[in-house]
Amino acid sequence: MLTNTQPAVEVRDLTKTFRTPGGGTVRAVDGIDLTIRTGEVVAFLGPNGAGKTTTLDMVLGLTEPTAGIVSVFGAPPRRAVTSGRVSAVLQTGGLLRDLSVRETVQLIASTHRHPAGVEEVIERAGLTAIAGRRVAKTSGGEQQRLRFALALLPDPDLIVLDEPTAGMDVSSRRAFWESMHAEADAGRTVVFATHYLEEADAFAQRIVMVAQGRVVADGATAQVRARASGRSVSADLPADPARATRALQVLHRIPGVLEVRTEGRRVHVHAGDSDAVARALLTQLDATALEVTSGSLEAAFLAITGDSPTSLVPTHADLEVLG
Amino acid sequence: MNVTYAGIELRRVLRDYVSMFFIALLPAFFYVVFGAAQDFSAQRAGNGNVAMYIMISMAAYGAVTATTGVGGMAAVERAQGWGRQLGLTPLADHAYVAVKAFVAVVVAAVPIALIYLVGVLTGAEGEVLAWVLSALVVLLGASVFALYGLVMGLAFRTEAAVSAASGVLVIMGFLGNIFVPLSGTMLAIARFTPLYGYAALARYPVTEGTVPTTDGTLLQEPLWYALANVGVWLTVLALLATWLVRRGRDRQ
Repeated sequence: MLTNTQPAVEVRDLTKTFRTPGGGTVRAVDGIDLTIRTGEVVAFLGPNGAGKTTTLDMVLGLTEPTAGIVSVFGAPPRRAVTSGRVSAVLQTGGLLRDLSVRETVQLIASTHRHPAGVEEVIERAGLTAIAGRRVAKTSGGEQQRLRFALALLPDPDLIVLDEPTAGMDVSSRRAFWESMHAEADAGRTVVFATHYLEEADAFAQRIVMVAQGRVVADGATAQVRARASGRSVSADLPADPARATRALQVLHRIPGVLEVRTEGRRVHVHAGDSDAVARALLTQLDATALEVTSGSLEAAFLAITGDSPTSLVPTHADLEVLG
Repeated sequence: MNVTYAGIELRRVLRDYVSMFFIALLPAFFYVVFGAAQDFSAQRAGNGNVAMYIMISMAAYGAVTATTGVGGMAAVERAQGWGRQLGLTPLADHAYVAVKAFVAVVVAAVPIALIYLVGVLTGAEGEVLAWVLSALVVLLGASVFALYGLVMGLAFRTEAAVSAASGVLVIMGFLGNIFVPLSGTMLAIARFTPLYGYAALARYPVTEGTVPTTDGTLLQEPLWYALANVGVWLTVLALLATWLVRRGRDRQ
């Protein structure tokens, strides 16, 4: 079958700029290259405003790229949509509040050429109990499951999910990912955007990290996670400025160090291998008052996506393990 | 046309009782109060009587309220994300427009059917051709105001804006010579307002251009007044809608 030789998604030098009301332009997506093979489960991880939604919109044919190429199963995105090979769960909005859950599914089913059964899809998304309820009277999590039901209708080969669990509580989040697991096990390609590292870690085989419209890291989940998690080591450096400067240079050279930041005499080091940093600080660099803390995922994320001027940003090639 | 989609859309509008009150019941009530219940309702007027003249006016008012609502809500629901949801389906833009146009026509037919039925029962009289032609003109002309709703929805993107647009129809109705006969300067101004040509055209099969004024005297008005009014407003609204749709696309 052609499906197996063609990538599910192929993106080359994709760029999207928006005009701002002041007359300027904003580069939301700034030259993204990406190949997603069939059957992969890929997380698009990045802070809000990183360009995740804009990129996915172009993959779905909802937005035209300013420059670059997108193809889905070897075809233009809109053709992949009309042939039912790709579908998506979009972020909030996009439902008619005065329709019932079942009517919404019936309506969208009527637009597809060979839709899955309405009741079957309602069942798979866990909506049977509330099928007769007006959308306006359902919770955020239930609306998200409804969007998921709509995405199942064309029986797609690729499902795109944009922040699919936003607004869900812990238990509906778990239930949602369980039903997604079932879809992935059935051989579907799944691409989802999230800003939760835990979610990317728990569900994806591969993480593509995006910041400021660019891919900053791309690799197997375990690798990217090792870079993104890690610990923070802080200590007081010697008072002598020359020795302190030398100590900072040494710290920068330790493998796995992501960020070195000073506050007066105190130095904060964010690193994958905190033991090596602690050892160097105590044995070679005459540091005192040493503390080791597990950095928050948020801080780690900021470090790896390079928001801090002193951080060492891993290059694309650095983390490219699948390429 | 996608029959399932059209069916669900129709159900959706018809069970919105608040809107249906303003579209069908209120104009029917107006007809009874301003028309059927008045002493002068049985007086002859052209190819019918005064009751029929007022019946057509009220049916026209109900029909434009219906199409304004359908057009406006189409713009608002697309702006609020339903357009993105539909963008994930094979449904083409023209198929969506066909569904909405069908719904607008059917919903506009509701006040016409109701008010004409009340008219039959309460003494509206006229030639058969006048009944048929006036109903057709009311129905077709109302489609122009789907564009008016669309323009307001595209420009302001909220349900409140669409409600306001429907509310403004009351003012347009007074200026359009629908609720009370105007004369003098008011009538001169009224000829340039959006509902004037449509209402005049709808009543033409009865009046053949005769316009009653405030003091009861009758004026004769050429048909091209009404045609020019409708033509100009149709052009203005179509241009505005096109410009607003393009502006929306550029922002994507």
